[in-house]
Amino acid sequence: MSKVLIKGNEAVVRGALLAGCKNFFGYPITPASEIAEAAAYYFPLLGGTFLQAESEIGAINMVYGAASSPFRCMTASSSPGISLKMEGISYIAGAELPCVIIDIMRGGPGLGNIAPEQADYNQIVKGGGHGNYRLITLAPNSAQEMCDLTMLAFELSDKYRNPAVVLADGIIGQMMEPVEFPEPVQVIPERPWALKGSADSHNLVCSIELEPDRLEEHNRKLQEKYAGISRQEIRCETIHCEDAEHIFIGYGVVSRILHSVVESLRAEGIKAGLLRPITLFPFPAPQIEHFAASKKLRSFFVCELSAGQMVDDVRLAVNGRKPVHLHTRMGGNVPSVKEIVETFKASL
Amino acid sequence: MNEAKKAADYRSELKPIWCPGCGDFGFLNAMYKALEELQLDPANTVVCSGIGCSSRISGYVKAYSFNGIHGRVLPFASGVKMSRPETTVIAVGGDGDGFSIGAGHIGHAARKNINITYVVLDNNIYGLTKGQASPTTPLGVRTKTTYYGNMGTTFNPVRMLIAYKASFVARTFSGDPKHIQKILVEAVRHPGFAFIEVLSPCVTFRGQDQYKILRERVRYLDESYNPENEVEAFDIANDENMLALGVIYKKIRPTYDEIIQQNVISKAKAASNGVAKIDKLLEQFQP
Ligand SMILES: Cc1ncc(C[n+]2csc(CCOP(=O)(O)OP(=O)(O)O)c2C)c(N)n1
Ligand code: SF4
Ligand SMILES: [Mg+2]
Repeated sequence: MSKVLIKGNEAVVRGALLAGCKNFFGYPITPASEIAEAAAYYFPLLGGTFLQAESEIGAINMVYGAASSPFRCMTASSSPGISLKMEGISYIAGAELPCVIIDIMRGGPGLGNIAPEQADYNQIVKGGGHGNYRLITLAPNSAQEMCDLTMLAFELSDKYRNPAVVLADGIIGQMMEPVEFPEPVQVIPERPWALKGSADSHNLVCSIELEPDRLEEHNRKLQEKYAGISRQEIRCETIHCEDAEHIFIGYGVVSRILHSVVESLRAEGIKAGLLRPITLFPFPAPQIEHFAASKKLRSFFVCELSAGQMVDDVRLAVNGRKPVHLHTRMGGNVPSVKEIVETFKASL
Repeated sequence: MNEAKKAADYRSELKPIWCPGCGDFGFLNAMYKALEELQLDPANTVVCSGIGCSSRISGYVKAYSFNGIHGRVLPFASGVKMSRPETTVIAVGGDGDGFSIGAGHIGHAARKNINITYVVLDNNIYGLTKGQASPTTPLGVRTKTTYYGNMGTTFNPVRMLIAYKASFVARTFSGDPKHIQKILVEAVRHPGFAFIEVLSPCVTFRGQDQYKILRERVRYLDESYNPENEVEAFDIANDENMLALGVIYKKIRPTYDEIIQQNVISKAKAASNGVAKIDKLLEQFQP
């Protein structure tokens, strides 16, 4: 297939359709609206459904319903709307239903602004809703990955019967880049438990378990599932890490800036490397541990468009073995290469 | 004695950033005049709003202003009124804010007859997010989220509010600021929940011709009309071809505050045997 110049947000919708997604439920919010708008255009063309819900609460609960069917479904929003969805997300995770949620992060807290941030890390990766659940979280850094990781999100979501989130900052959603679209997914896994509208498909979808022992057992089963995901599904990209003395860590748009930082430091003879988590849950802790144990490595340098949320996971993985420096920007500001290089040098 | 306030005294230092020609200007100017006519004290006037182009109003009025959460203007305004009953509370929002994401709140504010004024600047579209369908977008209209034409029939706010037994239901039009002023003054003076639908065109996402189209579709209720007859009010609300402007339904009944006073506070007083001190009161509850 040839390349198409397209917005990250639209690439999500095409990726979803290539993954065989049938139902989309949305509610407008900048900078995620193009996803709903493109879905409104594309889904009906392929015999799918697009529905603009009355609110994000409406949308996520429609997803909860549709996720019980044999067909793939999704919703998309941005930070304040994702906050509203949290209750529903907890229920879907508890009921172990597959669905894909796209979060195009904007500035907060509160209404904040519509410029890019990465301050939803905690609410998506650590929870946000109630109960012991985890969300498979994928962090694209290009329009191409907006398509590819949306497709992967559907695959993992079905494989583990768990909601999967594509977590992107506003820039990745809004940016136009050439994208090469893969072949459509041919076989969508059977859902033997799904509502099929026939007498043999009697099933009860719920997240209630009144008996404490049984709810504990359900929780343990969920934790086992999450542990399995952590063993199997970590994805991360490393550039120039093997001989690195300093490893920069960032995801989304930040990883692209850090790549330039690393190249410019290498040009000066400083042995810098880049580690980019592609999955945020499961977090690439083993990879970070591996480098933290290396004699060559002197420090880690984390950069985030938040007050520093992912850095907690980096620190847990490093476990005090090496210094972890942090550079943050907020409110929709994005750091320049020069600015990061200067802070990095000051940290030496 | 304080000097009489002028409409300009209610203007805040923020300059509206609506598109030129936006219907919301007509409402805002009429609102300044209505505040002048009512001679409201800005310190005791609370303007609450949700999120949307229309909801920017709270920033443009010199009063105690809140720009809240999308869809939650009514819970918010009710909270203000409960804790500061002596203030005048005016809640303003858009059709998406009020009839979509916030629709679940309207019936409750109305049925409790919370003494606030709720204005919806209805432009039949989501303006702020740049042109997606709202619950009042007409059937078949193409918007950014309805490529193939809007699928749902149009929500009828006036009919819904009468059904919810809102004690004051009116409709007015941005193209007639004098009429807005008259209705708004009456709504603020009304003891109880007062709802106003303002037909307020979004020229950017619904087109410049909205004023012309609406002018041909509105009619004024005449002086002899009695808004206390619910059946007649429904008939008027049901006419979606000719949109009636004026107070369509009105029924005076006890406000939430009055009910609280009569049924709750007096009973609680009796139950506490007139003991007003917390320590004494707590003693009564000791086993
Ligand atoms: C929870 C949440 N979801 C979505 C949004 C994005 N949003 C802001 S205003 C708006 C709708 C605006 O339409 P309306 O209420 O009719 O007001 P108008 O701009 O037309 O005056 C939306 C969807 C938001 N701010 N918060
Ligand atoms: S987009 Fe529409 S509603 Fe918003 S300011 Fe412009 S004309 Fe008014
Ligand atoms: Mg509107």
